[in-house]
Amino acid sequence: MSDLAKISSGPVIKRVKGKQHTLSEGRGGRTVLAYIVTLCILLPLLWMVLLSFKSNSDILNNPFSFPKTISFGNYARALETLNLGLLYKNTFVIAAITIVIEIMITFMSSYALARMVFRSERLKRCVTALLLMGLAIPAFILLFPVYRLTIFFGISNTYASLVIPYIATSISFNTLLFTGFLRGFPKEVEEAAVIDGCGLFTLGRAVVFPIIMPVVATVFIFNVLYIWNEFPFAVTLISNEAMTTLSLGISQFKGRFNIDYGGIIAASILLIIPQLAFFVFFQRFIIEGMTAGAVKG
Amino acid sequence: MIWLSKRRYILGMLLPTLLVYLVYIILPVIVSFYYSFTTYTGIGAAEFVGLKNYVTLWQDSLFWISLKNTFIILVVSIMFLLPGAFLLALLLNLKIKSGNAIKALNFAPSIIAPILVGLIWVFILDPQMGLINVFAKSLGLNQLALQWIGGKTLTPYSIGVVFTWQMIGFLATVFLAGLKMIPRDVYESSSIDGAGKLQQLLSITIPMLNETVKINVVLIITGVFKIFETVLLLTNGGPNHLSEVLVTYMYNVTFTSGEYGYGMSIATVTFLLTMVFSLVYMGLSKKNIEE
Repeated sequence: MSDLAKISSGPVIKRVKGKQHTLSEGRGGRTVLAYIVTLCILLPLLWMVLLSFKSNSDILNNPFSFPKTISFGNYARALETLNLGLLYKNTFVIAAITIVIEIMITFMSSYALARMVFRSERLKRCVTALLLMGLAIPAFILLFPVYRLTIFFGISNTYASLVIPYIATSISFNTLLFTGFLRGFPKEVEEAAVIDGCGLFTLGRAVVFPIIMPVVATVFIFNVLYIWNEFPFAVTLISNEAMTTLSLGISQFKGRFNIDYGGIIAASILLIIPQLAFFVFFQRFIIEGMTAGAVKG
Repeated sequence: MIWLSKRRYILGMLLPTLLVYLVYIILPVIVSFYYSFTTYTGIGAAEFVGLKNYVTLWQDSLFWISLKNTFIILVVSIMFLLPGAFLLALLLNLKIKSGNAIKALNFAPSIIAPILVGLIWVFILDPQMGLINVFAKSLGLNQLALQWIGGKTLTPYSIGVVFTWQMIGFLATVFLAGLKMIPRDVYESSSIDGAGKLQQLLSITIPMLNETVKINVVLIITGVFKIFETVLLLTNGGPNHLSEVLVTYMYNVTFTSGEYGYGMSIATVTFLLTMVFSLVYMGLSKKNIEE
């Protein structure tokens, strides 16, 4: 008996040990591989950082050498040439107005579509489908008509000229997220509040809005990023320098700095860093928002 | 909720959203479509000319060049971006030291403003001072120092690479979400039955990711047809419109040349092509599953 146990247990122990060994070895290998892949993906960004500390003649003549002294000359010139404050201010004001309004109105409409009783169920489904259709409509087909509308309403080169299309293009995505969340959430709390004499406004503000907060956060951050990066509408609708947004400002770098490559590179880095910081800070919401839009849309 | 569902309440809740949406999304789509049948140049009234713009389009060699370039980017993306994102997802799905940070770093390119992405890649692809050619020349491989952008042929392929760089982390994340949905016991019971890792990959992981693959292909199609900023910054469609894609060509015809009617016919065709490509692909892959 004991011999048998010995025979059978011997190799078993050995095998377990062997497996653990290869497992830990493999784990080290995969970590190294993952780091290498990540480094390759980040290479363009690292290259920009390296160049940003070099003089223009070094960028052209010996780009691979490490900068002998770290010089911030490019950054100084970038700050001088660019009116970063203005670009950030315009983008920030537009984002703030857009997002406050869009969250308010799409919250209201989504609540109506998810919770309220329509006389005709079919009408409700049609309105929902209509609002979701926008997910499939690319912005470029809207550019010219929206440009015409902007002239028609007499709002050329104002914040409103960008705020309205940004609100409009966010409606489908917000509707998708808000109605999706509300449908999956039990209505008992709201019913209790209504029975206690709660009116529609108080219900929305004090009961439903706090419940829906996690989705509001996703919508908020996703839309901040959208407005931050948006270019086609900005380049079509804004021609006044005082109204330039970040993306629009970046598109003019090449002309503004002419052949001052160091300046362009430094300016780009100055704009990438805040974006990356924002991303690191709100990673979860951004990834959630982008994949939700992809998976459900 | 029936108590609060008075008609005027519902109307009041829906009205602001519907108003903005109808005026700024639905109306513009209809207007674009309508203008595409006119010769509108911004002055005077739009003259209705029926299908004339579409006939011109059919005979316009620049339109075909734009279409061909867009198509090249699409093929490059399907061939490299899709499998690349899948492999990246498989890698990130393993247990890796500080795996979350690695996932975030790979995702980072897709949150950088597309216009900045274009600017960054100028310094990689530029034939004179870009990283690739400088590197090739420093190794003495002058024959590899090609005109990645600004030449006659290579630009769309380069744009495909840029698009791949932009999207790979994002698509890998979508794949990761799909991988997480495959139940673990399928792998466990198959490995008891003696299936190897490769066999599991081919006969469990890939078939079970079918839906996710479909989502990603549609994301690639719609994404490629929207590429605008990178082309604008890398070549602005040049030289001689040779590197134009559908959206940039539409933009130039509409806003640079002021041929609004003709521009809108390009916009309409581009939009319809995106829809057709996506729908045909979804239809085809559905058929495959049923067989």
